[in-house]
This record gives sequence, C-alpha cells and structure tokens, in this order.
Amino acid sequence: MSMTQPLPVSPSAPPRERNWWVYVILLLVSFVALVPIVWIVLTALMDRAVAQSVPPQWIFTPTLEAFETLLTRYDMLLYMRNSAIVSVSATFFSVVLGMFCAYALARYEFPGKNDVAFWILSNRMLPPVAVILPIFMFFQTFKLLDSLVGLILLYTGMQLPFVVWMLKGFFEDIPRQIEESALVDGDTWFGAFRRVTLPLMAPSITATAIFVLILSWNEYAFAVFLTGAQTRTLPPAVASFIGGSDIQWNLLGAACVFITLPILLFVVAVQRQFVRGLSMGMMK
Amino acid sequence: MDVGAAPARSARAGAHDAPWFPWALMAPTLIVLLILGVFPFLYSLYLASTNIILSKPYLETEFVGLYQYHELVQDRRFLNALKVTAIFTFFAVFIEFWAGLGLALLFRRRIRGKAFFRLAILLPMVLPPVVVGLTWRYLLYPHSGLVTYYSTLLFGFFGLPAPQFLSSPDAALQTLIMIDVWQWTPFMFLILHAGLASLPPEPYEAAEIDGASSWRVFWTITLPMLKPSIMIALVIRTMDAFRTYDTIAVLTKGGPGNATETLNILLTNIGFGFFNISKAAALSFIILVIIITLSFLFIRVFAKKQLDEA
Repeated sequence: MSMTQPLPVSPSAPPRERNWWVYVILLLVSFVALVPIVWIVLTALMDRAVAQSVPPQWIFTPTLEAFETLLTRYDMLLYMRNSAIVSVSATFFSVVLGMFCAYALARYEFPGKNDVAFWILSNRMLPPVAVILPIFMFFQTFKLLDSLVGLILLYTGMQLPFVVWMLKGFFEDIPRQIEESALVDGDTWFGAFRRVTLPLMAPSITATAIFVLILSWNEYAFAVFLTGAQTRTLPPAVASFIGGSDIQWNLLGAACVFITLPILLFVVAVQRQFVRGLSMGMMK
Repeated sequence: MDVGAAPARSARAGAHDAPWFPWALMAPTLIVLLILGVFPFLYSLYLASTNIILSKPYLETEFVGLYQYHELVQDRRFLNALKVTAIFTFFAVFIEFWAGLGLALLFRRRIRGKAFFRLAILLPMVLPPVVVGLTWRYLLYPHSGLVTYYSTLLFGFFGLPAPQFLSSPDAALQTLIMIDVWQWTPFMFLILHAGLASLPPEPYEAAEIDGASSWRVFWTITLPMLKPSIMIALVIRTMDAFRTYDTIAVLTKGGPGNATETLNILLTNIGFGFFNISKAAALSFIILVIIITLSFLFIRVFAKKQLDEA
C-alpha cells in the first residue's frame, strides 16, 4: 500500500500536468481491488477439474454447471427466499420505526434527550457476538429459534440505532417552518408530516434503506447460530461450502456470485444515491 | 445540532405539543431496543455470575460471584486474544486511513474514467464479508490458490521461500490485516473523499497567493480542516475493526493455534465450542467494557476538537 502515500494536492492543482503517475497508482489499486472479484466470478464458470487445476487456468470453456448443481442439489432458492424476506422486512420495520424516533430527536427539546440519543447509539457499539448467547437463550424461551420472525425482529433491532442516527441528521436539515405553515393551514400533525416532511425526506430515507438492506442481506454471525435447515439465509449457507477437506471451488465461486449478484446489481443501479446518502449522513 | 430550539408553538395547539408526544414517537424504537439490547445485557450479567456449562447439565447451577472474570483475566488465552485484537485493530485502521486519504486526495485531480476507478475501488466494500472471507481463503489456499501460486513463483524467482499466508502462525495475522485493508480502505476513501469535497476553497487560494508548498498546504490546511471527517472515519472503522467476526471466522477461526484468535472469536469458541456459557458471558461483558471505554475516549477527543474549533 506504499504507493498510496498521501499526496499534497490543492484544488487549484494544474489539471493534466504530469498526471501519468496518478493513472499508474489508480490502475494498480483497481487491479488489486478487482482481481480477487474477477477470479471468483471466473471460477464460478469453470467445471470442477478446471477449478482445481494447478497452475491456474485463465483460458477455459465457460460452463454453467456449478450454478446448475447449486440449484438442483442444494436449496439455494429457499435460502435466497429466506434472505429476501428477512432483509426486506427488517429494512421496512427499522426504517419506519426509526423514522419517527429520529424525527422526535431532531424536532423536540425534552429532558434527557441527549442521553436517549446516546443510549440508542450505544446499542450499535455492542459486537453481535457479545450478545449472541443471551439472544440465543431468549429465542429458545420464546420459540423464536429457527424462525424467520425471530431473525426479522433481531435485524430490525440491530439496524435501528444506525437508522435513527442517519435520519436524525437529515431531519435537522429540513427547516421546521415548512411544517409549521402546513400546521397553521389547519393540517393535523400526521397530515403535515406525511404531505410535507416525508416527500422532502424521500431521498435520504431511500439512501438509509439501501444501506440497511445491504447490511441485513450480508449478516452472518447471528444467522449462523440462530437458523436451521428451513430458515437458513444465504450467508451461512454459502459459508458452508468451505467445510470438509474436498472443497469444490467452482461451487463455492457460484455460491459467492449467487449471494453477491442481487446486491451488486442493486448497488450499481442506485450508486449515486448510495454515495450521496452516505456522505451526507456521515458528515453530521 | 438543532436548527431551531423552541417547539412549534406558533402552530395550532394539539397532541403534537404535549410533552409526552416525542416519547410516543420514540416508544416503538425504545421498546425494540430494550428487548434486544438491555434484556440480553442483564441476562449476560446473570449468566456470568453462575457456573453454567451447557454440555454438562448435571452440574448444579451456583452463584459464583466474580469467579468467571477472575478466571478470565488470569487466562493466557484471554490475554493473547486481547493482544491479537489490539494489533489487528490498530494496524488495519492505520493502513486503511493513510491509503484511503491518499486515494481521496488523488480523486481531487481531474481524472479521466473517474466513475470506473471509483466503482473499482468501492467494490470490495460492497461484497458480503462472508464472500470476502471465502474468496481470500480460495486465493490463499496452499499450493493451488491463485495468489499462493503466483507469489510462490515470484518469491522463488528471487530465491526466497514460498510465503505462508494463513498457514503459518507468524504470517496469519498480517494476512488478515491486509485482507481487512483490502475490504475497508474503500470506506475510509468514501468518507474522506466527501469530507474533502466539502472544504471551502478560500484558504487554498490564499495559500497559493502566498506561494506555500503543496506539502505545507497539506499539513497546515487540508489535514486540520479535514479533522471532523477524519475523526468520524476513524471512530467508525475502529469500532468495526474491533468487532470483526465474519471474515476471521471464515478464514482462520482463530488459528493456526491461537495466532489470530481475537476477543470475538475466543468468545464463540468458549460459548459454542466448549458450551461454557457463563465464562463466555463474562467475556462478553469485558468486551463491552472495553468498547464503552474506547468510545468514551473517542467522544471526549472528538468533543474537545469541536470545542477548540468553535
């Protein structure tokens, strides 16, 4: 990483002057960033023998064999369905609940406000692994182990602190006079909120939801301990391909593509909002 | 932090003016967090004060006071995990910060193909951590892995022994740090890039008139003005690096030996490997105390910085 030393550059730096080394660095960094990803995708298109060959084979006849095996001999579609249900529901609930909480924290003054805000944030500081045991016992008691409902509840709670802090910043950016004028015009609070504030918040809420969706889709630590055969989500299912001594690399590659592709297509489609939402929310 | 201080009194009086109204809005969130945050916390405290080992149900549950903490603090495995976690967190965040800052500064130049480069740089961050772990396990697999194969060739060319990566206790932690750098430098880049974009141009113009060297501009203008973004990036990354679990679980599970056993991995090994849940609960409480201490330190430094600037 020594090639990415901080380079003093002022915004008024002359454009396109002795810039070739910039491209060398960027190409190198892109190469390092992309090669592992390209290789795992290529592996997904190999047959078993090619995937195991030494030296690595860059030229081969691509095949969809690995994907076919995944779909016919493993329950990948079931896992994908579970993942989709859990992450979409958790995103929905955490954004809807967190939105009102963020609004209250951004708009109202009340005693203990800062303590509440900090306490909410402190919930995100807990490493998931540190609460996994009590959650496990709790789920066992309330028959939530091995159920999608339990996982949805858990992910909702996990993402709430993040949602509240992101949206709190965005709400503070919206001038309250706009709402007040709607209230003066005789609207109810909820009416003003729904017709005036929400439309203004739509881009920020979308950006937050994108983030939460990705985090929930990728969640592994809880899923691996709290799900069973029928409720397994994609991350633990994909990780299970590395078990045993005889690893089928092409299946592993295909599984990685299987879990990443939906989220990747999604991110590329919404890249602009994603970047903007991130930078806006974090800069508070 | 607040745009206006007083609640909306000018508007028609209604429920939204009542003192309980913000609490009503917050209630659902607070209830969920109480169930999933506070309850497990208290339950952990209870577990840690007993001697429950799930695989030995015949043991009578007893109150043991601080025995579990006492045992842990003297345990060499715990001290090792503490050291491994500290090394991993410090070096990963340190390298990521300088690499991310360097890239963010590069991006201020006029570059052709910026969109492509940005996407390429951001991609590793978007991958599920499990996929990152599996991909690197594959690339670093002894003999046949892509990186192992080519680096063995390269090292052999210079007459050096083949690099061991994950299979040697000495190299495994360094390898994990480099993988974390690969995965999370994009995050630093993203935050610092946004921070740089929001800097006002005036100081730079003044510096140019004064003829300050670009090195001086960087240390006296860019870095101090970028401090808020730097603090946020460092805080978030340190917290997350400290709790890294998925990639290490997939890559090494703490091995070889205990060379990469961080606190998180040790916790699952005790709790789900030996089913010694009381000891694991005590450990989770210790981790929590470390995290809270760390975040208080960060917040103190952060708040002080903001006061200084105000």
